Amino acid sequence: MNADETLDCKGLSCPMPILKLAKAIKAMESGKVLELLGTDPGSKTDIPKWCEKTGNEFLGMEEEEGVAKYYIKKA
Amino acid sequence: MSDSKNGAWYQLWSTFFGRTWPMWVGGLVLATLNICLFLVKYPWGGSPTYINWGQNIYKLLGLFDLKSAVPVTMHQWGLLGILTVLGAGVGALLSREFAIRIPPVGEMAKGLIGGVLMALGSTMGIGCTIGGFLSGIPALSGGAIFLAIGFAIGAFLALRYLLWEMEKAPKLSSGKSVTLLAAKGKGGIWQPILGVILVAFLLIGPSVLHRGDMVLTWFAIIGLFLGFVCQRSRFCVTRAFREPFMTGESEAPLAVMAALLVGIFGFTVIKYMGIGGAFPGGAREIALKAVYPHFWLRALIGGTIFGIGMVIAGGCAVGTLWRMGEGQIKLWFSGLGFSLMAPISIKYIVPGWSKILPSWAQKQCFLPDYFGYWGAVLLLLVIITLWFVFVKWNERTGKFSAV
Repeated sequence: MNADETLDCKGLSCPMPILKLAKAIKAMESGKVLELLGTDPGSKTDIPKWCEKTGNEFLGMEEEEGVAKYYIKKA
Repeated sequence: MSDSKNGAWYQLWSTFFGRTWPMWVGGLVLATLNICLFLVKYPWGGSPTYINWGQNIYKLLGLFDLKSAVPVTMHQWGLLGILTVLGAGVGALLSREFAIRIPPVGEMAKGLIGGVLMALGSTMGIGCTIGGFLSGIPALSGGAIFLAIGFAIGAFLALRYLLWEMEKAPKLSSGKSVTLLAAKGKGGIWQPILGVILVAFLLIGPSVLHRGDMVLTWFAIIGLFLGFVCQRSRFCVTRAFREPFMTGESEAPLAVMAALLVGIFGFTVIKYMGIGGAFPGGAREIALKAVYPHFWLRALIGGTIFGIGMVIAGGCAVGTLWRMGEGQIKLWFSGLGFSLMAPISIKYIVPGWSKILPSWAQKQCFLPDYFGYWGAVLLLLVIITLWFVFVKWNERTGKFSAV
């Protein structure tokens, strides 16, 4: 999946991935896609829920080599 | 037929390990296990684990004259803590979520500092999010209410700090990180296999090692399940206090409320009936379990310090334990900070601190002494209902939420 920006949250645990995601999305233009790289298992549920609550679109997740890639489209 | 059998087993496996459990399910199960711990000897607590671990570290180093420290494997909380870590490890392995996650250096420092603050808060305020609150509220302790207010204040302050840090010192949470032993593709099958071997060993081991001491055996077995359930449901008291100020989501607060309601029911039965107190003065001793002399200011101050620490560390006393089990190195530093600071605080800070505070600020308040059992339960139910109304209103309006 192609992304306009990448946010590296590898090694970070709750709540840092969500705080960084919120900050990054705030700075992006509407319709742009953010790729978040993370290793915290909690992010698998946290990120879709945050997207649902804030109205941003959760496009999906891919996992490879122990790193999860989350794709979020700014509303 | 073979396919349907495979399908059924796969569904069973998938229910427990394929996805994260709803957090409220974790809350209900953990509260039930807590009632079991109370029936065995004493309600669940988090900070005594670190106190014991720290005392043993200093004993090993020959520091602070702690030669009399009880060995970890012979101490109910020291052992329960280890089994909680291992139980979480089992949960992570069976669900292929285990990995050694080494964060940037700044995050490890935050883990250490958060752990030190939690040690100070829990010793100065007497109690952490588990012993003082998740057991304290069901124990009908008045001090537990002020401890909770302190956690909320601390969580709010620490969250403001984290938001400031992201703007002014972003390097603290960025930099090189390493992930080792993660389950990758089909090769990751080693994790569930190791998980099954580990759980078999851990269920048999404690009963063999402590055959003569059933209290220790049960603490070990229940500790294993506590860690497992915490990891699978990602049950997090820190989150319950932090989230209303962060995303506003209500999942964690509702899970904690569910745990409190089950706990209140079970603890009240035990205390009201004086179960386990069939000796002179026994009923009163049972009634006062997990009711600490910290009402109200002592609990409020200690809770605030603890609340700051738990949000900076990313997990409270038990949140630290189960995240240690799934391989989060930041929380290993939190556990280290907690363990190293707690014995020092007890030996050098708490004695002076308890003398400075007036007696009205550190009373043992057992709510039924003032309101009767039913009045005490009703009071707590009203408080939980108000918390519920606030959390749901805030979730809808986002009035107090930062992101």
